[in-house]
Amino acid sequence: MNNWINQHVQTIKLVLGRMQNNAVSTFMISLVIAVALSVPGLFYLGVDHLSKFTNHMQDETQISLFLKLDADKDAVQEVEALLKKNKSIKDFHLVNKENAWQTLKNKASAANETDSKVVDLEENPLPDAFFIQAKSTEPDALETLKQELQNIPSVEHVRLNTEWAKRLSALLTLGKKIIFFITTLLAFALLVIIGNTIRMQILTQKEEVIVSKLIGATNSFIRIPFLYAGIIYGLFGGVLATIMLMLAVMAFNLSVQALSTLYSSDFSLPIINSDLFIGIISFAIFIGWLGSSLAVSRSIASIKID
Amino acid sequence: MIKFDQVTKRYPGSNEALKNASFTIEAGELVFVTGHSGAGKSTLLKLIAATEKPTSGTVLIANQNISKLKPSAIPFMRRKFGLIFQDHKLLYDRNCFENIILPLHINGITGNEASKRVRAALDKVGLLQKEKAMPITLSGGEQQRLAIARAVVCRPSILIADEPTGNLDAGYAADIMGIFHAFHQVGVTVIVATHDALGMSAVQNRVLHLNQGQLTQAQSGFDGVHHE
Repeated sequence: MNNWINQHVQTIKLVLGRMQNNAVSTFMISLVIAVALSVPGLFYLGVDHLSKFTNHMQDETQISLFLKLDADKDAVQEVEALLKKNKSIKDFHLVNKENAWQTLKNKASAANETDSKVVDLEENPLPDAFFIQAKSTEPDALETLKQELQNIPSVEHVRLNTEWAKRLSALLTLGKKIIFFITTLLAFALLVIIGNTIRMQILTQKEEVIVSKLIGATNSFIRIPFLYAGIIYGLFGGVLATIMLMLAVMAFNLSVQALSTLYSSDFSLPIINSDLFIGIISFAIFIGWLGSSLAVSRSIASIKID
Repeated sequence: MIKFDQVTKRYPGSNEALKNASFTIEAGELVFVTGHSGAGKSTLLKLIAATEKPTSGTVLIANQNISKLKPSAIPFMRRKFGLIFQDHKLLYDRNCFENIILPLHINGITGNEASKRVRAALDKVGLLQKEKAMPITLSGGEQQRLAIARAVVCRPSILIADEPTGNLDAGYAADIMGIFHAFHQVGVTVIVATHDALGMSAVQNRVLHLNQGQLTQAQSGFDGVHHE
């Protein structure tokens, strides 16, 4: 066992030493792997974050109900009573126009917008509003509920919040499929690239392969260093890809920050997404191993001794 | 140990390199294979080392028919041999020590045990001081001795050398032959192919003489000499 480990450690040292001697080409191949993986990785980050965002939206208020601007306290209570009686409503809360007005003004002054018109307004432009969560999330059930609520006399407008979120999440599902497709294509390209690199290495080390065969090395013994080379390329490429992703996210967050302060939001992407990073690195290692093992068996068999 | 029975080897598109050769080499023998270049010496050695298969006839190595060996069994068969080539076949991207340790790694021997055996082999061929040197910095004779060290480091029972002194001047050649005799004396079967009649005229040993693929002096052995 010890011997076995020792042998693998020796092999890895040998492979790393060779890579050090060809540092530039090692870096190049790692860079190719990194670029090929960071493209779908970046897409994934965006789509994943947006879909979390929309899921969150869907969990929240599903229906916004706005009363007429001239509705008085009685009308509000009347609607509240109706909502309480309605069996398809799970929960709701009232935001009256004074509170909403105050919140809006606070937000505007907090955002320090000098050209904001909100503070200059003399009259409250906002209606009383109910934010309702239905028991069902089915679109049909929500539509019936919406109609029902629309018929209450003092109600101005009922809006289903989830509609756009649903559309977005459908789009995001499509986006995920596209990512999967791109990743598959790039994985094939990587297999070819890694396979070719390993094939070239086998040819440059033809002498060693021949000598090893002559002194009784099994094919699997000859294969091992090349398999490790593939795996290490994958590892380097994967790590490089995660570094590139982190840099891209940082740059993205910087420019988004300016935008999101304008919208008084704190939207930003997390810089470290450990699941994705572990996924990318293991995928890169797998591709490296697969690419080299596909190349190695045929190349080594094709080298004839003497 | 090694038995050839009616062995013929024909390469595609050429004459028979070896015709109907039959002979036996016992364990512990020192055998010279002689003949002009192209007479079939290398073919004979390749058949013994299982790097070629006979076109017809049987080659038995330690009672195993090499024509019937599975490809996966051939590496293990080769580990019985120490092979030495005219062009050394050293690996020039690593130093002497690393060259010699390769067969040990192939046999799964690593660590201190491997280092000890590498140094013992280097000592036997008188290159102990050069373990860190790169092979390219060695003289031709030293490179051949290094190749011998690599061939014997796994303590094979059969040593096969194809023109080991072909590129060396007389002094170095005598050196190398001395080493082979030393291995023969400790019981290793040694088979040396050479066109260099001078080197062996001094010693009376069994000779397999090849002439255009024909074995001409196969059994003119010196049995009496060997079994003393």
